[in-house]
Amino acid sequence: MTAIETLDLTKRYGAERRLAPPGSRSSGSVLALDHLSISVSEGEIFGFLGPNGAGKSTLIRLLLGFLHPTAGSAAVLGLDIVRDSVGIRKRIGYLPGGIALYDSMTGEDLLDYLGALTGRPSVRRAELCERLELSEATLRRLVRDYSRGMRQKVGIIQALQHDPELAILDEPTEGLDPLMQLAFYLLLDDLKAAGRTIFFSSHVLSEVERVCDRVAIVRRGRLVALEDVEALLARRKRNVEMRVAGPPPVLDGVAGVSGLVVAADGRITCQLEGDVGPFLAAIRDTRVVDLTIEPAHLEEAFLELYHDAEEESA
Amino acid sequence: MNRALLAQTWRSQRVKLLIVCLALAVWGALFPIIFASFGATFRQIIDSGLIPKELMNFGGGDVFTLSGSIALGSIHPIALVLNSIFAIGFSVAAIAGERQRGTLEVLLARPLSRRTAYVTLLVAGLIFIAFAVAATIVGIVIGSGLAGVVGELAPDRLPLLWLNGVLLFGAIAAIGLAASVSFDRLSPALGITVAFVVVTYFLQVLGTFWPDAKFLQPYSLFHYYDPKAILSGAAGAGDSILLAVVTAIAIGWALVEFPRRDLAAPS
Repeated sequence: MTAIETLDLTKRYGAERRLAPPGSRSSGSVLALDHLSISVSEGEIFGFLGPNGAGKSTLIRLLLGFLHPTAGSAAVLGLDIVRDSVGIRKRIGYLPGGIALYDSMTGEDLLDYLGALTGRPSVRRAELCERLELSEATLRRLVRDYSRGMRQKVGIIQALQHDPELAILDEPTEGLDPLMQLAFYLLLDDLKAAGRTIFFSSHVLSEVERVCDRVAIVRRGRLVALEDVEALLARRKRNVEMRVAGPPPVLDGVAGVSGLVVAADGRITCQLEGDVGPFLAAIRDTRVVDLTIEPAHLEEAFLELYHDAEEESA
Repeated sequence: MNRALLAQTWRSQRVKLLIVCLALAVWGALFPIIFASFGATFRQIIDSGLIPKELMNFGGGDVFTLSGSIALGSIHPIALVLNSIFAIGFSVAAIAGERQRGTLEVLLARPLSRRTAYVTLLVAGLIFIAFAVAATIVGIVIGSGLAGVVGELAPDRLPLLWLNGVLLFGAIAAIGLAASVSFDRLSPALGITVAFVVVTYFLQVLGTFWPDAKFLQPYSLFHYYDPKAILSGAAGAGDSILLAVVTAIAIGWALVEFPRRDLAAPS
């Protein structure tokens, strides 16, 4: 079953509706999302990546009914985003990026109020407070006295306390210290294990790599890539650096090896892509003194995809 | 209408409402006492020709009769400012203020349609206004009792006086809320509403001081708020109907405009 499905979803801000290049300004009209088609399956953690202004918030706001699509359609949990917006919001949890809270309320009153507005019991609140280390004493204080991290924790709890089927989280670890980030990642793992779907918007690539099953990468409102994180990483080149004693191995023409540089002092650097078998076979008879293979990071994949997309549009 | 939003709005405004009601009750009590203490003296001064008669006719009120003094107190800028705390302050901030703070998206991420949120906040605003106008009337009754002129009040006309006040400030609140749903920031919504109220108030007051400007008064909402005519039994239903129509138009605008708007990410 599909949790989120968009079909040629387009959003143009401004009064004019005439065609313009993606993201360009034409008489005050801006194309923020350009025929975006993605599908998020139930039970997966889906990363939505892109730099500021790429269209991440626009998509989330369209899904929540804050914006009206210019063209195309979308469904969340099988419900149409235009016709069934209230029904959708009954079943989801949402953490806005840089969440603003009611400063004159205590954390407890705020969570009670938002829970009452949701109309569903806050079955996970106690557990979330415990895991995110938000004590009862803290919850009894006014929100205006909270630090950035405490506000973010309250934001996460209000989004998840009613155990929604789908959580839409915009930059969820913003303001959390590394320990709390880890606690949050573990929380996501548990949610996933419980069959919940997480739509995760971020520009922190390491955390997307850590938690997401699949990623969509957007650039100027257009989908650049939609892939499994594993597959995306597997296709990336790893950096290899080794030092050998004696004659260097013959790596020219070995499958997956590129950018080979052999120095006179026995240092060899190259990039390795795909299966490591041919490379290991090629160095089998070499006396390797030191060997480092840096794992591929999503950041490199992301930059590479962006670079490719930029070249295409140029 | 959403009960949780209404209850929270009530909780957040109740202290302010209590203070405004107390202030309006004191203000309402003041004018019957002034009438009873100084009404005859003021009449002598006016009859002597020392002060132009128009100056004692501010906003259609006077201090020579109980109904005139109540009318004067009701249209006085201090009464206007106190009533505007909810009619303008609350209504304008209800949506545009939340939008500017960024809390509107937390609210609207719940299963709550924009129309439901609007109607709930409108009802809350009308309740606050109803309390505030009622507090003024309670003050009038208490002041009349203290001054020994309560016998001159017609109790059966007090509900009409309350209704006329609620309709005037309700119309202003509906206009403020219509402005509030139309803007992303507080200042334009506040600016438009305050400008409208100041201009409409000025048209009414100008007509009372300057007979040549009387033709402008029908263009003022305050022209249809006539405590003196109500208390003396001379008021027709037309004034209240017109205020109700203005309220209905503002509500209609907001109910169409608010759901239609794009709520882009706060900048």
